[in-house]
This record gives sequence, C-alpha cells and structure tokens, in this order.
Amino acid sequence: MRTKEEDLIKYIDGNLYCEPADIWIDPSKPVKRALITHAHFDHFTFGCEEYFSTKETAIIIKERVGDNIKIKTFEYGEEFKINGINVSFHPSGHILGSSQIRFIFAEEKWLISGDFKLQKDETCKQYEIVKTDYLISECTFGLPIFKWDETNKIANDISKWITNSPEKTSLLFCYSLGKAQRLLNEISKTNFKGNIYSHSSIYKMNNCYKELGIDIKDTIKIENKKNIDELKGNLILLPPSLSKGSYLKNFKHIQTAFASGWMSIRALRKRSGYDKGFVISDHADWDGILELIKKSEAKNLFFHHGDSEALSKYLVEQESINVLFLGK
Amino acid sequence: MSLKKFSDLFNDLDSINSTNNKIDVLKKYFLSNEPIDNSWAIYLLTGKSNKRFISGRYLKNLFSQIYEYPQWLIDSCYLKVGDSAEVITLLLKNKTNSRNKKLSNISLNELLSKIIPELSKLNEEKKNYEIKNIWETLPEDNHLIFNKILTGTFRVGVSIGLITKSISKLINIDEEIISHRLMGNFNPSIDSYKFLINRNINLEELNSKPFPFLLANTFEDKIFKVAINDFQFEWKYDGIRIQLIKRSGNVSLWTRGQELVNESFPELVEKMLCIKDEFVLDGELLVWNFKEQIALDFPFLQKRLNRKSPTSSIQIKYPIIFIAYDFLEINNRDIREVKLENRRIELEKYFSKWQNKAENNINTIFRISDLIYPKDWSDALSFKEKSRENNTEGLIIKNKRSPYTSGRKKGIWWKYKVDPMQLDAVLIYAKGGSGRRAGLYTDYSFALWKDQELIKFASAYSGLTNIEIKELDKWIRKNTIEKFGPVRSLKPEMVFEISFEKIQISKRHKSGIAVRFPRITKWRKDKQINDADSLENAYKLLKKIS
Repeated sequence: MRTKEEDLIKYIDGNLYCEPADIWIDPSKPVKRALITHAHFDHFTFGCEEYFSTKETAIIIKERVGDNIKIKTFEYGEEFKINGINVSFHPSGHILGSSQIRFIFAEEKWLISGDFKLQKDETCKQYEIVKTDYLISECTFGLPIFKWDETNKIANDISKWITNSPEKTSLLFCYSLGKAQRLLNEISKTNFKGNIYSHSSIYKMNNCYKELGIDIKDTIKIENKKNIDELKGNLILLPPSLSKGSYLKNFKHIQTAFASGWMSIRALRKRSGYDKGFVISDHADWDGILELIKKSEAKNLFFHHGDSEALSKYLVEQESINVLFLGK
Repeated sequence: MSLKKFSDLFNDLDSINSTNNKIDVLKKYFLSNEPIDNSWAIYLLTGKSNKRFISGRYLKNLFSQIYEYPQWLIDSCYLKVGDSAEVITLLLKNKTNSRNKKLSNISLNELLSKIIPELSKLNEEKKNYEIKNIWETLPEDNHLIFNKILTGTFRVGVSIGLITKSISKLINIDEEIISHRLMGNFNPSIDSYKFLINRNINLEELNSKPFPFLLANTFEDKIFKVAINDFQFEWKYDGIRIQLIKRSGNVSLWTRGQELVNESFPELVEKMLCIKDEFVLDGELLVWNFKEQIALDFPFLQKRLNRKSPTSSIQIKYPIIFIAYDFLEINNRDIREVKLENRRIELEKYFSKWQNKAENNINTIFRISDLIYPKDWSDALSFKEKSRENNTEGLIIKNKRSPYTSGRKKGIWWKYKVDPMQLDAVLIYAKGGSGRRAGLYTDYSFALWKDQELIKFASAYSGLTNIEIKELDKWIRKNTIEKFGPVRSLKPEMVFEISFEKIQISKRHKSGIAVRFPRITKWRKDKQINDADSLENAYKLLKKIS
C-alpha cells in the first residue's frame, strides 16, 4: 500500500508511472497498460497490451496505426476505476481528443496536464479547468518570450503571404495531426480563396476530423505529378519531415514557411531553413502555463517536457508555488 | 506609416533567401517611399553607422527596472534568443497594452533624426522615462527596429553590394558607379539620396571604375605535366585583394567586394598621388612588419579595415603595404590583353622608374611582388611547404602567356595552399552560441593529453554541419558534468580533428601554445579519447616550423 511519503505518480526512465494503478501515462516503450493523453506519436507507442483514452483519441490512433489494437475509451469527465483509483479524462485544448488526466486516490487529487493550450481552437474542445492538489504540467514554452498572437492574426498573415506572391506556390509545413486542421479552419476564414492542397498524411487526418464532426475546409490531395501552373498562387500543406531532401524538387517557384511556436525566435527561424515562420502553437505560452497552474489551484507542482529551470525558479520566487521533482 | 513600412522591409529581407527577390523588395521599397526615408533606410541597411546609443545590458536592466522583472529571467531568455534587442522586444509583448499608440504614424526620418538623437541628450532618468514612453506608444511591430537601432545591432542579410545592385537596377546605371557614390560618409538627406539615383554620370565617376578581377582556381595535379617554365610563381599573401586605380589625378582603392576603401588607408592614397603616371594595379594590401619584412596576420589588417580615417598613431601601429602583382592599365592604355610575362616586364620597368624618383619615397608603402623560381615541380612543393615561415598561405601560380581575364577562368591562375596543421583533440567544454546559433551549444573547447590530464588548447566554433551541431548539442546536454553560467564542462568522450594555420608559444595559455584559426575538420567518431593527440605532439609542430 502507498505511504504518504511516496508520490502517486513517479518518473521512471523518462516516463510517468502510477504504481498503485500499475499504469503508465504516454509511455515511450511498450508496457502492459497505458493511458494516452492524445494521438501524437511522441505520446503514443505501438505495442502495449491495453490502452485507455478518449473516444476521439482512439479513433485517430486507429486511423494512423490500424485496428489491431486494444483501446478502452471514455467520455470527457467520465470517472472510471483502475485498481481502485479514480481516473478521468478532461479536455486539454491541444488537439482533437487531447486530454488532461486526473487521478483521485486516498483523497488526494493528481492531475497530468498532457499537452495543452488555452487559445481558442474550433477543431477541438476548449481546455477545462480542473482543480487538483498535485499537478504535473508540460512546459514546452516555459519562458516569457513566448507570447502567442491571436490565431486570426496569424491566419491573416498566412493569407497575405500567399496572396502577395501569386507567381509562387506556397508550401506551409505543419504537423499533420492537429496543427494542419487548425490552420485549415482558420485560413478558410481569411481572404485567401485559392485552392488548398494537402499531403496524404494530412489529408487522412482531415478526413478523420470530419468523421468526428469537425467542420474543416475541403482540400485537394497532392499527387506526385501536378501541373506547376495549377499550383501557382495556391497553398500546399506538408508535414515538416518533407522539408529536407528531394521531395521539394517536385515543385518549382516555391516559397516555404513553418508554423510553430518556436518560430518566434529569429535565430531558430533563420536556422530552420524555411523562408518564413508563422508563430502558432498548440502548446500554451508562458502566460498560458501560469494560468493553468493557478486555476488548477495545485499546491504542489512538477514539470516535464521542456526546460523548466526558469519557470520553476519564477514560480518559487514570484508566486510562492512549491515546485518539486517527481520521485523515481 | 513609414516606420511600419521599414519594419515590413526588414521582415521581408529577413525571410527571403534569394538575392533577386531581395533586390525586387528593395526596389519596391525605394519606389514607394520619400527620398529622405530611403536615405535613412540605405544608411541603416549598409551599416554605415550602427552607432550604439545604449548597450544591450542597459536595455535589459531598464526593462527589468521598469516592469519589475527579475534580471535572471531576462538572462535565461537571452540564452535562448541570443540578442538583447530581440529579447526585450519579445518580452514587451507582455507589457505594452496601452491603446494610445500615438507614434503609429512616425516616419523613419523622424525616429532617426529627431527622437533618438534627442534621447541621447537626456540625463539617465529622463532617458529611461522617454524609452518607456516610446515602447508604450510605438506600435508593437516596430519595437524590434527601435530596440535594434538603439543598441546599434541593426543587421539584416543585406550587403552593401545588394543595395548597390538594387539602386543600379532601379535607375539602370552600372553598379560600379553606384558603388562609388555610396563610398565614404553617407549623410542621410534628401540630397544624398538624389545624388545616389542621379541618372547623369560625371566624368570622375567613370574614371574610378575598376576592372573585373581575375580570380585564381584551386591547384590541379594535371599542371605537374606542364613545363615549370611556363609559369610565374609568387607567394600567396593573406591580406585583401586591391585594385589600385590612379586616373585623372585621383586614387581609388577597390576591394574584390566592390567596396572603396580609400578612407581606411589614407596614407596609401596620399603616396600614390605622388606618382606622375596614371595606372591600374592589381595586388594585395597587408599590414607589414618592416623589421622582419614579413606580413602580419589578417586580424591586424582587420583593425585597419574596420576603421575609417585612422589616426596617425593607428597608422604607425599597424603600418600597411601594397604589394602589386599585376598591371592592367598604364597612362590610359588598357594592357589586359598583353601576356602576363610582358605585363610583368612593364610593371618592373615602371616600378623602378617610380622608385628612383627620390621625392616619391614610395618604398615604405608600395612594392611589387617577389617572384619565386622553383627548378622543378618538387622544388615548387618545397617552396609551398616553406610558406608558413614567411607568413603566407602557399603559392600563386600564373600562366605566363595568359591575358588578364575576368572571373575564375580555368588555366590562368591557380592557388596552391599549404595544408593546415591538424591535431585530434578531446571536447571538454561547450558554451551557448549567440545570434543565429542561440539556444544551441556551438562554441567548443578542446584539449590535448599531458600525462594523464587533458589540457585545453583551442576553442573552435566552425566546421560542423547543422545536423552535426544539433546532434552534438543533444549529446552535450546529456553529458554535462557541471554548469558555469552559459558554459558546461563535459564528459571527455568525443574526439575531433582540429585544423589550424599557425602555432605559437603563448605564456597566457595553460597549454603554453596558441593556435590561429582553429576549426573543426572532422568529428572523429572512430576514435576513443586515448587516441587523441598529446600536447607534446603540438610542441613538435612548433619545432618543425621554427
């Protein structure tokens, strides 16, 4: 039985593990049982015996890796028990189906934030405030230099970027799952009325979102042989993995851009090799992280995913919030 | 609107990689703005002044003070961003929500000719207040430009050559003419811009035009098959290539990058004016050690290059010499089609004539190159190996029967550089980079063995590919022993081949040696740290040269 001194959730080999429930959270290697916060591949590993996730996450995962996988699904807010521990998923606003996970055990509440954002995104459920005693939060963008603009401003910038170069084909690189659909949703509200093409990996996710009832603009699947003139003045969405190497040789007269929170730093933008960077992220910025922490009312805080040194020091010094390190 | 337009120009230039597109953007900007603002834009883009009104540190302190922001947090951000002006710009996003953007319509001219100069006249308290005021009333898009100008760090991927090209295209006039017009002090004004875009060329401008440079190819082995007597041999100096033009009583010093550098080397201009003939010479400009009759290293030359109107003490401290090695024009007769061997005869003839005029006394600053006469190719090789002794980079080999053509044509000139010295060393420290390399560990220190100890002998930050840099950065983060501010000490595990040009005794360094231009030439993943070189091997290199 767990003693008070021991943390309900531990950090083992870089993975979060809940010992009393004998379950891992987003493990990076195959284990017996895994809770999955969302369907991005850095949070999901194939080969576990049994998965637990939201309904949407399960559908997206199956679309990506096939049906040969055992996933127990739950509604947001639905409480279920694992080895006597109460567990529930709550929207985290990161992508469709993404969640925070709350554990209640011996009157102690633990919350794993998962990847989250507070900004509005019509392609997924808005993040929900969940009160907790212990919070394990991501802090990918845990420095005050990260401050996101309104999404529609970025979408308008993208629209202008395309329409200002009618002679060129605009290639916008973005993650296939989540970012691409959010961009499509936002770009369809701008003045850009040209065609949007998407790479098959993105096209597949678009359909998946549509099946789950998310209204996003239709795109044309990009085939290998497309008439150069046909693409001129239009937008193509591609996954970042294709930005290096020979794939770009399929196109002529292109301009490239990358949509990511990291693009707010000029040095990273220049180093990335893209012509342009659009600062849009599905993670929370500095203020967002602070807001989630405060609203969760957590007394004890842990960080993972990201460099937490500055953020921890800030919370301890300026906000008097207790930042701890997870037990091993 | 116009400051906003300049910010847009900056962002466009920053996000365009193609030179032609940059030129188009610049042309468009010049066409759609007032002459006075164009003038300021050129002033900023060519880095004509880059005057620092306040330091980056001051800017950070000021922000910390005004917004009660912990200094250490700003420093943490700086490590990621690598530029004070940009850090403060990003942090200001959180702070200036004031709706009163009364500076929305400010022009570039107003900012640079009024607001900033007035700022520097204020005492500290008022200045700080005024900067805060500007931050809060200037639209956010313009913060980066403002902060960069303030800290004198305004830079964007635009060379003076690119500005020259854009204006040349804009008014359809040769680049050399524009280059000449852009030379020297550029005082931003309506007139200076109008002069720049004047479609009428005067005679003096035409007369200063340089010829296109003839460039050397890398040495090819097949030349060994050709008789040695077909070639002229000279030392390859590590200075700057200069075309020295004297026409119509004026002297122009042109670099290969189409820059006029008269103002950095006034004593050379003055001396050349003493010569009666008119001519065009091609040669090398160096900082010279007259006692030992040897060229000083390039960094000394840089001290002269970066300085306009050098004081006489600077001129004495870093004495220059121009070594001519080719003759392109004499008294308005273009002799570039004449064979090299005959051009050389002319050069020697005229030089001795000039030299013999006692009143000229040109020897102290102007010479012609020494020729080397190897007996055969193996003799040529041993000359090349000796080039370190006289501080040259190797040999220049020229076809005696060749004309002076433009560009890098094959079969005319070759450079035959001496191989760098190399040692395998162990990576022991890494430091975060700045600017473009911010947020990555890119400055490395390397050590050699002395008994059982690793002694630091060189630091290097160039030579790895971007992919290797990322890979090494990851490794560094995982293998840190200790952190001291931005520096990390590392587990000795990685071996690199370090190449360098010179090695000297140095009392300042623990290793007892200093090397020049160290760079990484190979990541020796195949080697263990025990395979790395010892300090003793470095001393052996030292002995070999002296």
